[in-house]
Amino acid sequence: MSVTEPQEISRRTFLSQGAKAGGAVVLAGAAGGALAACGSSTSGSSSTSAPSGSTPGVGTGSPVRGGSLTVGLVAEIDGFYPPNNHWDTNGFNYANAIYDPLCAVAADGSIQPYLCQSVTPNSTFDTWTMVLRPNVKFHDGSPLTSAVVVANFEALQASLLTGQALTQVTSATATDPMTVVYKLQAPNPGFAAGLTTQVGYVVGQAMIDAVKAGNPRATPVGTGPFVFQSWQPNDHFTVTRNPNYWRPGLPYLDQITFRPIPDTIQRESTLKTGGVDMIQSTDPDTIKRFSGQSGYQVVDTTTGVLGEPTVAFIMLNTAVAPTNDLSIRRALAQSLDQATIQKIFGGGYAKPINGLFLPGSPYYSETGFPTYDPAAAKKLVAQYAASHGTPKLTLLTITDPRLAQVVQIIQNMWNQVGFDVSISQIEQANLINDFIAGQFQATTSYQFGAIDPDLNYVWWSTTTVKPVGSIALNFPRNSDPVIEQNMLTGRHTTDQATRAKAYQTVNEQLAKDLPYLWLQQYVFTEVATSRVQNFANPTLPSGAKQYAYDEGIFVPTQIWLSK
Amino acid sequence: MPDDRELLDTGASSQLLGDRFPGMAATDEAVMAISTEHLDGGDVLAKKPLGFLFWFAVTWVAVVFLAAILANVLPLQNPNVQNYSALNQGPSTAHWLGTDDLGRDLLARLIFGSRVSLIVGFCGVAIGLAIGGTAGLISGYKGGKLDIALNAGSFIILAFPAIVAVIAIVTFWGASLLHITIILGVGTIPLMFRVIRATSLSFAQRDFVIAAKTMGATDTRVVLREILPNVVPVMVTFSLITVAGIIVIEGTLAFLGLSVSLPTPSWGNLINEGTANNALSTDPFIMMWPALSMFLLLWSINLIGDRLRQRFDIREGLL
Amino acid sequence: MGKYLIRRFLQLVVVAFVISVLTFLLVHLLPGDPTTVILGPNDTAANRAILLKQLGLNLPLWQQYLTWIGAVFHGNLGTSYLNHQSVSHILATGAPVDLELIIISQFIAFAVAVPLALVTSRRPNKALDNVATTSTFGLLALPPFVVAPILVAVFAVGLGWFPATGYTPFTQSPAQNIHEMILPSVAITAGSIAVYYRLLRSDLISTLQQDFITMARSKGLSGRRIMWRHAFRPSSFSLLAAAGINIGALIAGTFVVELLFVLPGIGYALVQAVEQRDYLVVQGIALVVAVAYVLIQFIIDFIFTIVDPRVVRE
Repeated sequence: MSVTEPQEISRRTFLSQGAKAGGAVVLAGAAGGALAACGSSTSGSSSTSAPSGSTPGVGTGSPVRGGSLTVGLVAEIDGFYPPNNHWDTNGFNYANAIYDPLCAVAADGSIQPYLCQSVTPNSTFDTWTMVLRPNVKFHDGSPLTSAVVVANFEALQASLLTGQALTQVTSATATDPMTVVYKLQAPNPGFAAGLTTQVGYVVGQAMIDAVKAGNPRATPVGTGPFVFQSWQPNDHFTVTRNPNYWRPGLPYLDQITFRPIPDTIQRESTLKTGGVDMIQSTDPDTIKRFSGQSGYQVVDTTTGVLGEPTVAFIMLNTAVAPTNDLSIRRALAQSLDQATIQKIFGGGYAKPINGLFLPGSPYYSETGFPTYDPAAAKKLVAQYAASHGTPKLTLLTITDPRLAQVVQIIQNMWNQVGFDVSISQIEQANLINDFIAGQFQATTSYQFGAIDPDLNYVWWSTTTVKPVGSIALNFPRNSDPVIEQNMLTGRHTTDQATRAKAYQTVNEQLAKDLPYLWLQQYVFTEVATSRVQNFANPTLPSGAKQYAYDEGIFVPTQIWLSK
Repeated sequence: MPDDRELLDTGASSQLLGDRFPGMAATDEAVMAISTEHLDGGDVLAKKPLGFLFWFAVTWVAVVFLAAILANVLPLQNPNVQNYSALNQGPSTAHWLGTDDLGRDLLARLIFGSRVSLIVGFCGVAIGLAIGGTAGLISGYKGGKLDIALNAGSFIILAFPAIVAVIAIVTFWGASLLHITIILGVGTIPLMFRVIRATSLSFAQRDFVIAAKTMGATDTRVVLREILPNVVPVMVTFSLITVAGIIVIEGTLAFLGLSVSLPTPSWGNLINEGTANNALSTDPFIMMWPALSMFLLLWSINLIGDRLRQRFDIREGLL
Repeated sequence: MGKYLIRRFLQLVVVAFVISVLTFLLVHLLPGDPTTVILGPNDTAANRAILLKQLGLNLPLWQQYLTWIGAVFHGNLGTSYLNHQSVSHILATGAPVDLELIIISQFIAFAVAVPLALVTSRRPNKALDNVATTSTFGLLALPPFVVAPILVAVFAVGLGWFPATGYTPFTQSPAQNIHEMILPSVAITAGSIAVYYRLLRSDLISTLQQDFITMARSKGLSGRRIMWRHAFRPSSFSLLAAAGINIGALIAGTFVVELLFVLPGIGYALVQAVEQRDYLVVQGIALVVAVAYVLIQFIIDFIFTIVDPRVVRE
């Protein structure tokens, strides 16, 4: 049992390149907006159980004001100050209650202004002008001004945690009380995508000042639909309705209480006994257990993912033996029976994947990722063994019961073609250390889920490869100039066709180099009682539909409870 | 009427319960109460035939041990072979006890698992007895500075938060059968020390021991000949309880991912596997067989101990 | 009396000191440090170095130890590197949770074990005794992480009598608090019931064999009166002793139920802190728990010196 639920390294948690994003740009009035990230165009929902005639997560009837919602989350976070605490999906679920991001993702995958009114690039995409919404107040009554946004930016830039994400921004200046001008080091058409990530959430000046004065547990102050009331770590986080919220008529709920419940079955039991109204889950079997159950609505990410899905995979170290040998990596890939793994580990819900993109995405292609062929794998292993002896390796994972299952399956499959695999379960913190230092041969992991492929640059770049023992963000140490070249092409071009081709090539190269053995999509699920209305149907201030369930992150603004 | 127990007050009591580390009084009192009983009494339970249950228990214990020892030779299926078309099955002719969530044969896993659990349990306690027990035996008899120092040591180990130590040591050293056995074994040392020391001390003051010393017996002879035989009953009983405890604790370690590496089975991690991932609903057999086996083993050992004690009139069953 | 107390106090100090050093060494020798958890994958060598300096973790170990111990003497146990909660706060909010768990579970254990032992010790090896023995061994074989989900499935989800998770402080709502604590307490009680029952039963049987009991019987005293007034009291000492030891074990073992039932107790905080290398939290909690353990043993001992006439006090 994991004490802290694994913090997946998704685009949300990875900040280094958050704002260095290339990618989707459709902004108010911006010409030449390249629409990059497309999955299917509907907000994600798997229409399983719901009162007949309704879609799960979409409210029926007119909104009811009032009421208190309790949500069971997967894990606790460390804090609510973006420069100091890195947020996983749980962090963003908290954040969406008390803060607003400057930009948000629409249901069609485009980046739209949210807290800001508009953000417009110049013709060379290296200067961005942001106009804020007027008459927005923080929870302490102070106004949203450009000075506050700049103060946020400066705190983020000065932070060890988030500073890297903003190195591309040379300055952020408040040119008038409602306008902020960002100057970038180099042209970046996708700058705005970064403003949907952690660095885009705006906190009040009072909070910045308090933290600077030496109080890291300063009361969170935001502009969001709910106001912070109390936080007892590992117990509950309670927020109450913001009566002065800038979006008219919102929110509907009076109060939300978040409760982190680490054990999946206990979390589901708490839902069944009425201790919570809604839960999040990273166990695909949750879908199985609640589908078709009357009284519950299930929404999951098996459909409707925009951009890349979060993916579960085995990561191989290309810098140490025996995984530094490409034929060995091929053998490891060919001996994995994805279908069986998905049936057992994924509950049958996760889809087989051949790369980072799903059919429907412009970057999807037949990547040539090795298919299940144990005979061929055996041959490769035998060849290797003839000169090097039986290839031995250790498969690392964290102490989580689901992962314990899958590593035993994988160990079995690999052993059957001639490998000698041992399993080692270690703590989350140690595992990440090992990733960073390159001290592993094979390990389980889940990652990605970026709204735009450019956000993955740092994971795959040749510039982020360092020798084993030194800190490097290209964990598998896969130094591939073709990938580097195409990532840069994708970043700097605004021609959709070129972009698509570039990322397809990257995906295909990954299937050739095999630093990652794709297992399946990592599925997020939310289940709510039938009373909870509209939890997967948010709209943007402009009226357009928002990306409803972003890899485990929901928006609480327009939820109501029916009587 | 004077409470007869008050009349038992001898020098032994005051020495035993006097100046020592906190908490010693409590344990020592408990142990003394149990061990210094009339060794010639016992009219209440006259010699009875051992009975059917006794032989059932003996058979069970024998079966478990033999199966563990002979596991490789027995016609068992491979406990690690996964069969993806036979997941979570109940008992059948192909798999007498059913299969688990990866299609592995539960009977094989149970028997191979008993090896790990029995080794961890009995060897762990053996370590505790060898080190803690010996130290306690000598320390209780001799007293003095050695006694004070060892007391302090055992107390410190007991006061230290065990979970931190276990996590730290396993992380540092790695998890393997040997390491786990040693860690848990070392953990029982202070318990063994305390219990056996108290018993040893209580006997050290008895007349027959004093008599032996007066007659010129060396310390070694006194310890081995006079004290040890009387300490053995307490030792045996307490050890058995501790074996049970260790086997269960290994399960909790598996729960935390700190036990033997997957896919090696042990009763503890079988029980853990049988509770994780909603297995209690999908396949309760995974957890059931090891729990049942452990229960029967504990019960059998205890019954055997009880009946033998009755038979040989040593003392009424303890724990 | 004064000497007795002074000696006890010195013993406490020695134990506390040794444990503080041991815990400190143990956590610092673990591979890794809190920077990984704080910075996450967004890590560079430079950042890590800066952060270590900020946290004072680049200083030599002995210096870090002295700084910490110095702070402890001033009443400052430090704060978490992760969520910046003060260790004192963690202990203050967590201790009542664990205390309550232990009290309720021990209460249940005694409530079951004592009457059972009183009854069966009079007729050893008869039917009831055998059933009781069998059941208690069954309890020993079921660790809390097995009992808990079963209890929840049956009593919470199935019958709806109790909540599945959650904790309300006693001061906030006593009724709800007890309601939430019952299942977790029962989950950790199993082992205790077994130990107390067997111990008390054994002690009672041997006590009942003694002459003074025969004497009481020959005086015509009723069986119940004999049990309660003459047999139980002397036998209860060992029970008290066992409780003392057991509590120590329980303090260490509440982690699993805290995790499963989401009780914000010390066990869970401790384990999480070890895994996240939150040094100050680990050190602080370990120290306080050890001191508490010593004090509890001391108190039990003290009760003995008052209650048991044979104990000699200096």
